[in-house]
Amino acid sequence: MELVPANLFTFDELTAAYNQTRVDYLVPMPMNVARLREYALVYDVNLNLSAVALQNGEMVGLGMVGLRDRRGWVTRLGVLPAGRRQGIGTAIMETLLDAATARQARAVWLEVIKGNVAGHSLFKKFGFVKTRELIVGRRPPAPNAPGPHPGLKRVSYLEHADAIHLLEQRPERPNWLLETESMRNVRHVPALPQDGSGIVQTVRNLSALMVELADGSQGWVTYQATFLQLTRIVVGVLKGEPAAVTAAVLHTLHRHHQQQDAIVENIPDDAVWQGFRQAGYFEVFRRIEMQKS
Amino acid sequence: MKKILQIEDHPASRLLIERILQPHGYEILHADTGEGGITLALAEKPDLILIDMGLPDIDGQTVVTHLRQNPNFSRVPIVAITAWPPETAAEMAQRYGCDGCIVKPIDIARFPAEIAAYLPR
Repeated sequence: MELVPANLFTFDELTAAYNQTRVDYLVPMPMNVARLREYALVYDVNLNLSAVALQNGEMVGLGMVGLRDRRGWVTRLGVLPAGRRQGIGTAIMETLLDAATARQARAVWLEVIKGNVAGHSLFKKFGFVKTRELIVGRRPPAPNAPGPHPGLKRVSYLEHADAIHLLEQRPERPNWLLETESMRNVRHVPALPQDGSGIVQTVRNLSALMVELADGSQGWVTYQATFLQLTRIVVGVLKGEPAAVTAAVLHTLHRHHQQQDAIVENIPDDAVWQGFRQAGYFEVFRRIEMQKS
Repeated sequence: MKKILQIEDHPASRLLIERILQPHGYEILHADTGEGGITLALAEKPDLILIDMGLPDIDGQTVVTHLRQNPNFSRVPIVAITAWPPETAAEMAQRYGCDGCIVKPIDIARFPAEIAAYLPR
């Protein structure tokens, strides 16, 4: 088995290999070329430092590493079924961690799906410790449009630059996926070629709503709206009870975007998540965030 | 002849379902992406849709959401076929307006009867 940099392969090849690593995964999440390309760009994945494992010339595993300042992030690690139980995952991890260390990363982060015992054990073996659990939630569109939130006083509609400004002010540490750097990078995603169907639409900006309630509470939501989905949803509470303000902010968001399916990723199990639940979101699965210093 | 649209990106799963259902007299249509599935559904108006929830472009939940918002698909049976854990799969299917959910690996012997039960008589 040999390990080679991932940038020696095309996105088509990496996508095919990645999908094979996930074919029997706990939560199947296949990607297409456009999505993997976007993923690498938005999350600052460095393909020069990412690794592909080859056995007899065939790809049998891969792993990617993202770098920001002096922080690293391991992602998309997987071994194809034919290559399992041969130490390939361990070898890829060693390569990724060496690469992050060589770039002076002081800490490396990753997430593993809760219940993925093999993955969790591997990361513990490398010295990763759990920092928190993160929730992936969804909200199908509600069949009937809600009226305005009863406590609503004012809604301000904000654009990409304002959304980034709000995200920069967050006091809490967001997960890598939701860091302001990720959100800034959304602007750099190239447009998809139009195939004429018009169903999937590339949007390269965030939007935001600032919501004020009559009792003085205030909160905001930033999000990316496509024709079919609302994604990259982040809620901030400026004044008031977090769950109630979150629910009010999301109520307002979904009143403006009634047709879209909503996805929220990697948020902690806290009062804000309770607000998401009040607004109709349900938990799909959890990830365990881990860190190695 | 009843028309079944199968939206599934995994070639082996696609072939397996085709081999099981074709001898029962169904016409099987395929799409291997969510977007392709929506386009084919709108063009072909199938009698039933089998959809894998994990698709490479837009996932099955969003595809079902989009189809259910179209009055032509408000009553077409949609069955999720997924490798999710059974409880999660059932909740997802119910919340997203699927008529049912079949968890992989499918039971080859029972599958034709399960599908027939979803089809209008």
